[in-house]
Amino acid sequence: MPVKFDYLLRETTSNLGRNVTITLASIMTVAVSLALVGASLMLRSGVENATQRWQGGIEFVVFLRIDATQQQIDSLNNDLEQSPEVSKIVFVDQEQAYKEFQTLFADSPELIDSVTAKDLPPSFRVEPVNKEVDAVESLGLTYEGRSGVDQVVFASKTIRLIQQLSSRLTVGIFVIAAFLLGAAGLLILNTIRMAMFARRREIEVMKLVGATNWFIRVPFMLEGLVQGLVGAFLAIAALAAFKPFFQKWLPSAQDIPLVGGFQVSGGEMTVIFMTLGVVGVAIGAIGAGIAVSRFLDV
Amino acid sequence: MITLENVTKTYKNSTVALRDANVEIAKGEFVFLVGASGSGKSTFIRLLNKEETPEKGHIYVAGKDIGQLSGWKIPYLRRNIGCVFQDFKLLPTKTVFENVAFALEVIGRPRSVIDSQVPAILDLVGLGHKSDSFPTELSGGEQQRVSVARAFVNRPLILLADEPTGNLDPATSVGIMKLLDRINKTGTTVVMATHDRGIVDTMRRRVIEIDRGAIVRDQARGVYE
Repeated sequence: MPVKFDYLLRETTSNLGRNVTITLASIMTVAVSLALVGASLMLRSGVENATQRWQGGIEFVVFLRIDATQQQIDSLNNDLEQSPEVSKIVFVDQEQAYKEFQTLFADSPELIDSVTAKDLPPSFRVEPVNKEVDAVESLGLTYEGRSGVDQVVFASKTIRLIQQLSSRLTVGIFVIAAFLLGAAGLLILNTIRMAMFARRREIEVMKLVGATNWFIRVPFMLEGLVQGLVGAFLAIAALAAFKPFFQKWLPSAQDIPLVGGFQVSGGEMTVIFMTLGVVGVAIGAIGAGIAVSRFLDV
Repeated sequence: MITLENVTKTYKNSTVALRDANVEIAKGEFVFLVGASGSGKSTFIRLLNKEETPEKGHIYVAGKDIGQLSGWKIPYLRRNIGCVFQDFKLLPTKTVFENVAFALEVIGRPRSVIDSQVPAILDLVGLGHKSDSFPTELSGGEQQRVSVARAFVNRPLILLADEPTGNLDPATSVGIMKLLDRINKTGTTVVMATHDRGIVDTMRRRVIEIDRGAIVRDQARGVYE
């Protein structure tokens, strides 16, 4: 049986309007928790982008000269692969280096325009077996004098600290956000339960005259979805407004050597926003689903 | 139209509400269910509407075994059954018209059907002129008429009435009974649980007496006792 659109619109809005305060409370809880999730995702993206070349145990980078020959590159590659002290290497060619450069300096397009792939050196990222500071340093320096090598750059303690801090912060925020999301789900559940209680006479009559279960349920389900979705929308709006401050607030490339700016690209923001939308809808649907199946005895 | 075969219903607190009941009600019959409070009359009615499920036995309504009915089909069963209660169950925020229209609206009837059916049924119950009143502005008898109109607006095969005159004075009750009688004459099967001795004795229809869950009497053109 087709459920009429105007009926759904009327029922859902009247349900939402009946409990304005508690509806607002659940929307705000969804918004705050999703904003926290979003902010921590942004922080993680920013730190990942800024410390991109230092991820996965990479301890030093051997930058080659721009004019290094293929032969020099092959020979260095060979030596690194054979060395028992090296556990992993990643070769970054000029094209890849340029791509990373574009992400790192996404906020200064004039810089990107003035640089081409040809201006950037290729490099080897090296993960040594022994990660003691002294051992890393002595291993790295053995490659410094080689032909075709420009310089060897080591991961500083600062970078490790930033990575650690960001990962712990992310976990911490996620735990808080998870609790808040749980609270949001319960609030939505309770709002819908109250709406059902307020409309128990209508529900009773609907059952008596043979309204289908879905006909009775759908307005309540929609009510939960709307709350989740509006909460997610508020969180997204807040994060979009907050993004420029976020990037200014974090230390810039100049303050910490060896890292780029804390950039979050448009693509990453889109993914984060979509995640928030999906989580918001899911929380609304779960809250409403439980309320409808537990408290709507059809 | 309605058949009960060895139907037993026990509630969780182990009260036996109906024990091994066998009843056959033909299409177009008018049946009174009588008995003391708690004897099982309401359970009888609730079983027919599938508000309760029997533990044992079979119940056939309009040829279908409703014991086997899956949950999503129950609404379609109920569209064939109108219900009237002692407490009317009208929605106080809706007008008389809206209360009756609601019954059609929530089963997906189009506006055009609602706009033609509702005034017709309100005229039938004699409340055409009170269409825009709210239930609280009506007398008890009028409210029960609205409730009957709502139960009958979809032209069900069966009308179940659980003490429909329980809250009404004798004169008003007579009016409601005349209305139910008219509905019965259109071919609708009416099953009515009642305490009202006067009504049963005057109407002289089939009487089924239930005592502590057992059917102790089934009498054509019967009396209250």
